[in-house]
Amino acid sequence: MKKLKGVSPLFWFGAGYLVLLVVFAIFGPTMRHPFDEQVSKPFLTPSSEFWLGTDEIGRDIFARLAYGARISLVIGIVVQMIAVTIGIIVGITSVYANKWISIPVQRFTDGMFAFPDLLLAIMIVGVFQMGVGPVVIGLSVTAWPAIARLVKNQVATLKDREYVVAAKAMGANTPYLVLKHILPHLWGVLLAVMMVDVAATILAESTLSFLGIGVQPPEPSWGQMIQVGNLNKNSYPLLLLWPCLMLSLTIFALNFVGDGLRAIVDPKKNQAI
Amino acid sequence: MTEGAKTNSQITAGGRFFRFVRPLVLRLLYGLVSLIFISFITFVADEVAPGDAATVRAGEKATVAQIELMRHEMGLDRPWPIRYVEFLGNAAKFDFGNSVVGTQQPINKQLGQALPITMKIALLAILLAAIVGIFLGTVSAVYENKLADRGILSLSTLGVTIPNYVLLPILVYIFALQLNQLPTSWAPDGQRIAPDIYYLLIPVVVLALRPMATLTRLMRASMVDTLKQEFVRLSVAKGVPRWRLYSVHCFRNAIIPVLTAIGTSFGYLLTGSFVVESAYLIPGIGKVAIEAITQRDTPMILASTLVTGALFVIVNLLVDLVLPLIDPRIRESQV
Repeated sequence: MKKLKGVSPLFWFGAGYLVLLVVFAIFGPTMRHPFDEQVSKPFLTPSSEFWLGTDEIGRDIFARLAYGARISLVIGIVVQMIAVTIGIIVGITSVYANKWISIPVQRFTDGMFAFPDLLLAIMIVGVFQMGVGPVVIGLSVTAWPAIARLVKNQVATLKDREYVVAAKAMGANTPYLVLKHILPHLWGVLLAVMMVDVAATILAESTLSFLGIGVQPPEPSWGQMIQVGNLNKNSYPLLLLWPCLMLSLTIFALNFVGDGLRAIVDPKKNQAI
Repeated sequence: MTEGAKTNSQITAGGRFFRFVRPLVLRLLYGLVSLIFISFITFVADEVAPGDAATVRAGEKATVAQIELMRHEMGLDRPWPIRYVEFLGNAAKFDFGNSVVGTQQPINKQLGQALPITMKIALLAILLAAIVGIFLGTVSAVYENKLADRGILSLSTLGVTIPNYVLLPILVYIFALQLNQLPTSWAPDGQRIAPDIYYLLIPVVVLALRPMATLTRLMRASMVDTLKQEFVRLSVAKGVPRWRLYSVHCFRNAIIPVLTAIGTSFGYLLTGSFVVESAYLIPGIGKVAIEAITQRDTPMILASTLVTGALFVIVNLLVDLVLPLIDPRIRESQV
């Protein structure tokens, strides 16, 4: 536990916030009012009955924010799972496969990496129609190249470490080497990167929903709520404030935790880039 | 004597020209291939997805037979590889056909109206981002670890993390609704009550903020590295004035990675303009593309996709062209 001493208080703030967010996402949507039904008059200010007030058609903002948190977290985590799986496979392939496979794979990864993420996601959502499924597909397709690059670089350095070479000399085959001696060293770095990438995914999902091509009503999401708030900001600015606040806090928290984790797993790189 | 051992004077003018042009041609080809790849993916994905342009054009009440007839009229009943090649052929002539929804206007006309607006905002934004970013980055590097540096770095962190669809409504709320200084949304040319600059201010600033923050950080890092080099110490010893040292001697060395980043930032500007346009009601290419997606206007989705992708490829190509003019080392490495 000595390692944890150097971690900044922001890490603990972020981690605490994230725990609260998960609790909020699990219990919030049905705790007091349903998230998708009109329960009172529109544009109510916060009260003991409606903690954060009601939205443009009289739905409980507290419940809707909580459901938005659930959607954002689920999309963020599922997309990262898919991206990390593809990233690990592609990353390892581009180090260990023969050059007829590895070079085209690397070129393809670089090409995907260079192309603007969100533009690609918008195109994919554009052709597959809107909704949660296409958003997950679109964001996964854009998220894996960064992971693949990271895995490739890490594997390329780990491959030449003495203990790996020694294991190889003792007759270990490649799958065994990768599973037993290389992958276990990657989890720490990957976890740190995933935290930051989940933040990026949540931002991208909110952007798509803000544009009206992401999560579709009546299912609420933060991006969609920001859009509605933007339309009503003159008459009722609170509608804009809540989702903006939630989204910003979540992004900050994920970044703090990601940076903190990186400092724990990789103390050498604990410098501002 | 090997090829590489030739000195510059031994290479003929024609040979030098060829060696200078070849990597650019290769890059152009690479860009073209990626565009074709993008169009292919979009096209095939659209084939896989349920429903097509004929269903949309025939309307919601159409019978199966009517849709079939429409499909035949539009030539959609032919196999997709044939139609894809046809689409590519037309796209090469900048002919994207007509929209399948609404009044079915020619896509060229719609894009022709939307593109200049987007380009104007994006170019102003990248200009603002580059000027402010390079300036702040230099200041930051010169005062490394001093108060000014820390202040600029914290601001740039904020600039990277705040999403533009959060920032834009906040700015509109403050400057348009509360202070009443700027318009709340875009207005077409004929219906403006204030000079153009007032309408451009919020979208350009919001769009510029993130590239500005990235460029500031990059310029700072690059300048810090440059300032540590030998020639800087030599220049100081020689008595070169400070401002001349920074603005002439170091600047040209430090600017190279920043220029490359301007090209990649442009990709962000394109997607950023989707958001800014839809939040500030600007009829640019982003708004057109989003409308096409919600209405399932396939030809329009394909066209706007290709055009935005092409813009990205072209801008990055331009950056590649400009770099060797600025940095002789890149010129040499290509020769």
